[in-house]
Amino acid sequence: MMDRPSATKTSLEVRASLLSELRSFFEARQSLEVDVPAIAKSPASDPWLDSFTVNDPAGLHIGYLLTSPETYLKRLLSEYQCPLHAIGKAYRANEEGSEHAIEFTILEWYRPTTFRPFQAMVSEIQDLVETLTEYGRPEVIAYSDVFEAAYGLNPHQATIDDLVQFSSDLVGSKAATSLDLDSQLNILFATEIEPHLKNNIVINFPTIQSAQARIECDGADSVAKRAELYIAGREIANGYHELTDAVEQAARFEEHNRRRKSLHRPIVPRDDALLDALTSGLPESYGVALGVDRLLQVMTQSKTLSECMTFTGHL
Amino acid sequence: MASFSTSEFKSGLKVLIDGDPCTIVENEFVKPGKGQAFNRVKIKNLKTGRVVEKTFKSGDSVEAADVIDLDMEFLYADGEFYHFMMTDGSFEQHAADAKAVGYASNWLKEQEIYIITLFNGAPLAVTPPNHIELEVVETDPGLKGDTAQGGSKPATLSTGAVVNVPLFIEIGEVLRVDTRTGDYVSRATKK
Repeated sequence: MMDRPSATKTSLEVRASLLSELRSFFEARQSLEVDVPAIAKSPASDPWLDSFTVNDPAGLHIGYLLTSPETYLKRLLSEYQCPLHAIGKAYRANEEGSEHAIEFTILEWYRPTTFRPFQAMVSEIQDLVETLTEYGRPEVIAYSDVFEAAYGLNPHQATIDDLVQFSSDLVGSKAATSLDLDSQLNILFATEIEPHLKNNIVINFPTIQSAQARIECDGADSVAKRAELYIAGREIANGYHELTDAVEQAARFEEHNRRRKSLHRPIVPRDDALLDALTSGLPESYGVALGVDRLLQVMTQSKTLSECMTFTGHL
Repeated sequence: MASFSTSEFKSGLKVLIDGDPCTIVENEFVKPGKGQAFNRVKIKNLKTGRVVEKTFKSGDSVEAADVIDLDMEFLYADGEFYHFMMTDGSFEQHAADAKAVGYASNWLKEQEIYIITLFNGAPLAVTPPNHIELEVVETDPGLKGDTAQGGSKPATLSTGAVVNVPLFIEIGEVLRVDTRTGDYVSRATKK
């Protein structure tokens, strides 16, 4: 039973046509499809991403499986300065569930543009959903609006103390006080907001969740120029108005390792090749990563991701 | 005391929450792309029967509950306790109070086998078989010739439970009843 394919035939057919339509979508927009290595020298620094390590037969460490093609695509972007996309596998350790798999298909694309990059990104994500799915054009909403509607708080000003009162209801008061600001926001967003997002792009995230996105002022608040697509209550895609400043990027790496240390998670080596690419000149650009299997899950209304993947639970 | 990590969570797992024995009904792994992972878990409190939702940080552990389901035969009720006996040949007896028996008291029949849930060795819940055969002790007289369809009437069974039955059912007949819904299923097959 375990060794049989987990996918339904229908979902495989939907996948095949989705992949072909995605390629047409990007070809029509003059994006170059590239195929990048699955192994990288440095792992992702984001505090909550766990990379698999790769050893040779003698047990010598040679690298990490990609958690996303970001490092390679940015290096290509810096070199060739043209729109790029990749469709391939990514790997994230310790992520398994009805919406997660340790090995999954990711679509990631980058587009250099100097004219209102953030708006261009949001509208390209809207175009993609409208063209490829039956969900129509996603509605754009600000993170602060959905958060205030749910909790009556401005998420950009809220402190851990403000958030603990709500997170205590979910995880109990003892566990709640041990969560950092990022996790407080995440747990509140994931439980009360995300399930209600039918087809939305949420924009302007709290700066603690900036990852590789730029930080800008929005009225009195600093916000991360990040956009997330949610369909049927599920996170589908994540885009950034990309950071191009190598000094700022180096500082983010350090900050990620500081947070890893305080969370008692392993420190990771710095991705110097990515920093070099930023130093030599990453064009003003945006980048989006989309979970292909997750999108298929909502398109086929499957209860679990495994119904959309040829084999899961086989290891 | 044994404990389970969130990665071992699955439905049916018995855990101790705030001192109460609980069973995991549903376990969902939740993780924003860049954020910390959580497990959203639906938990049924085995004492109260209430289902609540709880969230755990992935990687956290929960104490295991010493809860076990055993087959036991119903012996008798003495007014305060309901007495059951193990079917494994040990003749070991357990006394369950009215709280543990709960709604199952409607379906208790001598020599029938029930599932007794023990918590720290004491009966916590009694689950009757899905179907049980009981005799009608009281109902209005049956209507002659009306064996096909239409209408129902209440009938009291030997356990005191009242179920709706077709009009043709008479006192003394043995009926098959679904204990989960309390619905009449059919006349019992003659043995």
